[in-house]
Amino acid sequence: MNSASPVGLERIVPLNRYRYLLNKVGWSVFTILFVLVLNFFLFRVLPGDPARALTKDPRMKEAAREALRVRFGLDKPVINCFDSLTPIKLGDCGVNPLETQFFIYIKNLLQGELGISYKTNRAVSEILVERLWNTILLIGAGQILSIFVGIALGVLAAWKARTAIDYGALFTGLVAWSLPTFWLGIIILFWGSSHGFPIGGKATPGIGAYPFLQQAGDIARHMFLPTLAYTIVFMGEYLLVMRSSLLDVLAEDYILTAKAKGLSAFQILKDHALKNAMLPIVTIIAINLGFTVAGAIQIEAVFSWPGLGGAIFEAVESRDYPVLQGAFLLIAVSVILANLIADLTYTYLDPRVQSE
Amino acid sequence: MAVQELELKPAVPASPLTGFWKMFRENRMAVAGLVMLLVIVFAAVFADVIAPYNPRSYEGIQSGDIYNPPSATHWFGTDDAGKDVFSSFIFGARNSLIVGFFAAFISIFIGGTFGVLAGFYGGRIENFLMRFTDLMLVIPDLPLIVIFVALTKPSLWNIILVIGLLGWTTTARIVRSQTLAVKSRKFVLRARAIGAGNGHIILHHILPLVMPILVVNAILVISLAILSESTLAFLGLSDPLAISWGQMLNFAFGRGAMSVGAWWALVAPGFGIVWVVLALTLLGNGLEQVLNPRLEAHHLMPGRLPVWGGEAESYPATAVRKSRRRKDAAMVLDVRNVSVAYVNGNSQVKAVQNVSFQLYEGELIGLVGESGCGKTTLMLALLRLLPAAGQIVNGQILFDGRDLTSLSEAEISDIRWKDISIVFQGAMNALNPVRTVGDQIKEAIVKHNPAFPQKRLETRVIELLGLVGIPAAYKDHFPHQYSGGMRQRAMIAMALSCNPKILIADEPTTALDVMIQAQILDLLDELRAQLGLAIIFVTHDLGVVAEMCDSVLVMYGGVTAEYADVDTIYNSPRHPYTQELLKAFPDLSRPERKLAFIPGHPPKLDALPPGCRFAPRCSQAFERCVSEMPRLYELKAGHVASCHLAEGKSR
Repeated sequence: MNSASPVGLERIVPLNRYRYLLNKVGWSVFTILFVLVLNFFLFRVLPGDPARALTKDPRMKEAAREALRVRFGLDKPVINCFDSLTPIKLGDCGVNPLETQFFIYIKNLLQGELGISYKTNRAVSEILVERLWNTILLIGAGQILSIFVGIALGVLAAWKARTAIDYGALFTGLVAWSLPTFWLGIIILFWGSSHGFPIGGKATPGIGAYPFLQQAGDIARHMFLPTLAYTIVFMGEYLLVMRSSLLDVLAEDYILTAKAKGLSAFQILKDHALKNAMLPIVTIIAINLGFTVAGAIQIEAVFSWPGLGGAIFEAVESRDYPVLQGAFLLIAVSVILANLIADLTYTYLDPRVQSE
Repeated sequence: MAVQELELKPAVPASPLTGFWKMFRENRMAVAGLVMLLVIVFAAVFADVIAPYNPRSYEGIQSGDIYNPPSATHWFGTDDAGKDVFSSFIFGARNSLIVGFFAAFISIFIGGTFGVLAGFYGGRIENFLMRFTDLMLVIPDLPLIVIFVALTKPSLWNIILVIGLLGWTTTARIVRSQTLAVKSRKFVLRARAIGAGNGHIILHHILPLVMPILVVNAILVISLAILSESTLAFLGLSDPLAISWGQMLNFAFGRGAMSVGAWWALVAPGFGIVWVVLALTLLGNGLEQVLNPRLEAHHLMPGRLPVWGGEAESYPATAVRKSRRRKDAAMVLDVRNVSVAYVNGNSQVKAVQNVSFQLYEGELIGLVGESGCGKTTLMLALLRLLPAAGQIVNGQILFDGRDLTSLSEAEISDIRWKDISIVFQGAMNALNPVRTVGDQIKEAIVKHNPAFPQKRLETRVIELLGLVGIPAAYKDHFPHQYSGGMRQRAMIAMALSCNPKILIADEPTTALDVMIQAQILDLLDELRAQLGLAIIFVTHDLGVVAEMCDSVLVMYGGVTAEYADVDTIYNSPRHPYTQELLKAFPDLSRPERKLAFIPGHPPKLDALPPGCRFAPRCSQAFERCVSEMPRLYELKAGHVASCHLAEGKSR
């Protein structure tokens, strides 16, 4: 026998898989820590934080200025050795680390505190949690639809390669990919508003007083246009990737084997090609999560959808930095976690990963 | 040998670019993209001349000019400030392209440098750079760009810098893998061996090879940068002094274009973005196809139906070989005058021409000849498994009283595997990597015998694997857990799963070690004796042929060189090619004999010599061989050879 014994194989496989999982989880934790640090220093290094601008206002009385500095924690050094980063002002390296802005930021984070919105004076965490669910609702519906439609069209295009169906699907995919999300949103909104669809928001004001079914119907009506825009934009890439991936798989030797076994074209697609061709899609979905967020920001901005993206849009308009900072943190962490989930799914889909 | 190889190679085009331009011009996607891009670049460069109005000046604008629909004076209508949309549109192209090109330049520079350094140096440098790339890849771009621009000043150059500094991750990854691929090429190793420095190698040997892929990627990065810029502008983060399409949309959307129905103010700028991004996408995709052409042909594309009922009638009945083993043995396969061509547009390449042979139950036919002689094409044709370009252009394949060339796809599917199964050459990828081997065997059984008792399936799989010496525990393993030889044996087990009448084995034992090889051959011999399995054995191993086969078909350049029973072939071969093949094979009974080899290569099927295909390599060739292709001469019942030397001796 010129290969490892079965016993040996069974011992090796799980060990490798645990190490693989541990590696992935560890990397995600490290990435999240990196984002935490980045998020803190970004707002300290770059100029333009209005809290700082506010305390420099010459018309302000010294006491009021001091009160503001204390309120935003600006009276404390940024971190050991640095009192401030823009402009760089060196400070005492021996201060108690827990009394620096950085550790106060970490401590607040651990307690789920992201600061107070400049604009509404509400806790940022409170605003964002409510908006996170709206975004998940919109992204979830849009992703599921675009993945479903994109993969179906991609499979059709690859199966009917080099026919009019294929060229039509390819062109549709390329155009959909080239559409700026926000512009497609505007066009759809323009069309929808003249066809009786609500022009924005998540629900008609006052709908809360109506029975649940009516509320759900109202939200669905509000969701229709943004979900349509979302689906069209993201369908394009899934279509292109699925088509190209399936074309590769269908040229493999094992497809010829399946054909020689007498399986029909449908059976070959279903039992031998789809799973293999789906593997790159899982990776693309993971890599795309960042783009998904970008799409959500634009669509929520166009349709005034009260989600995280909308929060970023509004925070930029009113320069509401605590909300901007919190939203970025929440989005980045969500994307990292979703990425981890996609990675782990991949392990279960592809048996080869486990023993590599 | 080296001289001959050179002569056989097609003429190299004068410059590598000539070939590139020719392919580029033929690629409709790339040409369309380039033309679309040139149009918009032209508009951007000559904006001052083309635009009828100055988009920065409010001169002569009155309150009645706000949101006017398209007209002869304002082709795209007017905007919220009464300005000409067409003029802003033209000037907007300028800023979109500036941001796109400069930001992409920064991204490509950073990503390219990271990729080349990581791929070239490897080790710690690679680890650090790629980990950093992964880190940046997972952090969502747009929110980060928004924060950067919001915290600094949204000037044109700030936007370029931020988009450029954050958009290099995919480039780094692509360039790294390309660098890895080229750095172990021969001439790079050679340059290193003669003492070239790292900098020299990177600049003069690696970079030129990475460049094509970098250009394709750069086009994609430009389009992403343009999209990012327009999104930023739409979100209100744009240089107030620089008109851009995103900014026009921001103004129109924010200042009531929607409610007054001024669609022109919304459509025009968006159309510009789509135009540029689509142009770049088409150009990028087209370029990639040109630089890295792939066949886009696959096994599920409908094949060309056989042309049937052709010249098969002219097939001489006397040429039929009789069974060697038993007088009453039934003929299971009668292949008559089969020709196969590969069709590409109007050109046809004949890969197999007028090949005939007979196979009796319980017999083994050996199909021999060098690589590229049409053996595998013929085997695929028997089961109608030819690639989409392949077509049976002539002949009949008679099995069980039916002509396989005339069956529908559904009818031939029923015959595949159940009656005729096939083990492909080099079975490394012949098993599906994501399904267990046992599962794939079961699938074949259930497909052709849906009534097969569920309970017996497992034992049947174990029995089949046992036949080829694979332990039962391996049935639930995936192909990648098998060694190459085990995969080959698993394929043989699978091929036997439906008790076929005919087994086509295309070099089934080449990947196996000698012990296993003998074991497999014994197994096949046993199945033949016990179950009457008929086997077509494609091989280079004349020893195996001599030992096991009943008849031999020697193919050369797509035609039958010689066909006879095994004793005739070994004792009185008539075709010089058969004679040379036998001389090239070691004979254990005559160890003193020197091994001969046949100089040269089999002819390319698209450049066949006008006369006998073997003439250029034949030591016995004379004038007639060069000008006239010999027909098949029948030397005695069941012995044919296509050689002019056989003419006089034929009946």
